[in-house]
Amino acid sequence: MGRYLPLLLLICLWQLLCSLGFFPSYVLPSPIEIINAFQALLTIGMPPGHLLYNHVLYSLYRVGLGFSLACVLGIPLGLLMGWFPQFYRLFSPIIELVRPIPPLAWIPIAIVWLGIGIRSAVFIIFLGAFFPVLLNTASGVLSINPILVDAAKTLNATQKDIFFKVLVPGSLPSIFVGMRIGMGVAWMTLVAAEFTGVKEGYGLGFMIMTARDIQRPDEILAGMCIIGMIGFTIDWLLRRWESSIKPWE
Amino acid sequence: MKRVVQLLLAFWFCLILIERAYSQIPPDNPIRMAYLQNDIHHLPLWVALEKGFFNEQGIKVEIAGIFRSGPELMSAFSAGALDMAYVGEAPAVTAVANGTANVAILAQVNTEGSAIVIGKNSSITTISGLKGVQIAVPGFSTVQDLLLRKAVPQPSAASDGVKVIVMKPPEMIGALRTNQIDAFIAWEPYPAQSVSMGVGKILASSAEIWKNHPCCVLVVDRSFSKANAEKVERIMRAHNKSIDFIRAKPEQAIQVAIKYTGMDEQTISRAMRNVEYVSNVNIEGLKEYVKFLTGFGYIKLNNLQSFMEKIVY
Repeated sequence: MGRYLPLLLLICLWQLLCSLGFFPSYVLPSPIEIINAFQALLTIGMPPGHLLYNHVLYSLYRVGLGFSLACVLGIPLGLLMGWFPQFYRLFSPIIELVRPIPPLAWIPIAIVWLGIGIRSAVFIIFLGAFFPVLLNTASGVLSINPILVDAAKTLNATQKDIFFKVLVPGSLPSIFVGMRIGMGVAWMTLVAAEFTGVKEGYGLGFMIMTARDIQRPDEILAGMCIIGMIGFTIDWLLRRWESSIKPWE
Repeated sequence: MKRVVQLLLAFWFCLILIERAYSQIPPDNPIRMAYLQNDIHHLPLWVALEKGFFNEQGIKVEIAGIFRSGPELMSAFSAGALDMAYVGEAPAVTAVANGTANVAILAQVNTEGSAIVIGKNSSITTISGLKGVQIAVPGFSTVQDLLLRKAVPQPSAASDGVKVIVMKPPEMIGALRTNQIDAFIAWEPYPAQSVSMGVGKILASSAEIWKNHPCCVLVVDRSFSKANAEKVERIMRAHNKSIDFIRAKPEQAIQVAIKYTGMDEQTISRAMRNVEYVSNVNIEGLKEYVKFLTGFGYIKLNNLQSFMEKIVY
């Protein structure tokens, strides 16, 4: 409980300052206004009729697809790049060229290539998550102590044994770091990608932009809090999963 | 460490002194004005700038922002970054009703001037044919959003309902061309541009949806107007002169519009035929906007009359 005390004190101070009129509500809504806005998002929706739970489900669906694709492609490629120097040399220039381009810069071209809707959104999210997953996986392989590999060879381990019984377990900590970072970036990218061209009419980013259109800063901040809480929860789940499959730690 | 702290304090103190010094100088600050990018409705502002109508009135105007939609522009008022602006009536009403901006409507800028555009090969021939289509609007609580809801009273998720998607007008033409959307509703000159580019055709002008509907207005920040009433009057004179100029010399007005939009003369001419420039505020139209916005749940008002007194200068 003690570790949340500073946060609680900050919220109390915020409410006090708002109640005393230091901040107009259109500049910084108070915590109570944000809680009321949260209730409105649950019961009325933003835009009216588009309830919060649907926005959350659509956003989770998009990020789930994009992140899964990033892991499905990024982890195997990262393992290969880490283990085979020729793979690393082959792919590294392309990756270093594409990686610095912000995912959001891809939005206009993604819409032209893939249209408005789930495909372009998943593509943008994939781009956000892919590089952290890939590079941390490769880094994990490269950081494995060569003595472990030599020891396995001494015990007549095949390449397949070395890959699955030494490399993969040894890289797991880095893989999970990459996944956590990738998920964070995916979540941030999702919200911005939903700012425009959301076909289904649902998504947390879309909800926030609509709240902006209708001049509801309380609902904007409520939406931001929801995004933060969901991101926190996802990261916690990833850490729990990591603990469960790394019993040696 | 102690020295660093002393230096930081001294620097901070200097900044405060500089700020206080500047605040003592009686400023002749230009009026911070904004408008919407490529919105032909805001031609009176462009004409006033190009023909020197503000200078004639002894007023300096600086363009403090060019925005892609009305709600974005109203956020700038919330931030205290604007004194006046040309903007859609719907976002202005929404911002005032929801307490995020304290502006008043000085004058009308135009009535009508939007259109529903469908693909050039579309088989739809009437508004009632817009069933199950994906139609783009510039944003919720924009004039075009209200026009669409007036034209299609029940846009909904039902299988034959109209599916609304929010896009910025410059993106709508490309989306229509690649069949990402089936139609869009936007302010001129984007409907005219879609026709010029051979991408779309006009299904219905906004005049057919709602004759003489008010569209854009000239608004002023209330606190600015209290301190600068004389400047506000002069701006209105320049605005009225611009509107008279557009009516009297449309060919010259077209050239100004070409400069500010970068579009060709054919597109601009076509667009301007759909726009009616006026300066008297359409009060009944404004009331109807307020009722629409209240009905959609975008705003809540306790008293329509007191709101009207608040929002009209």
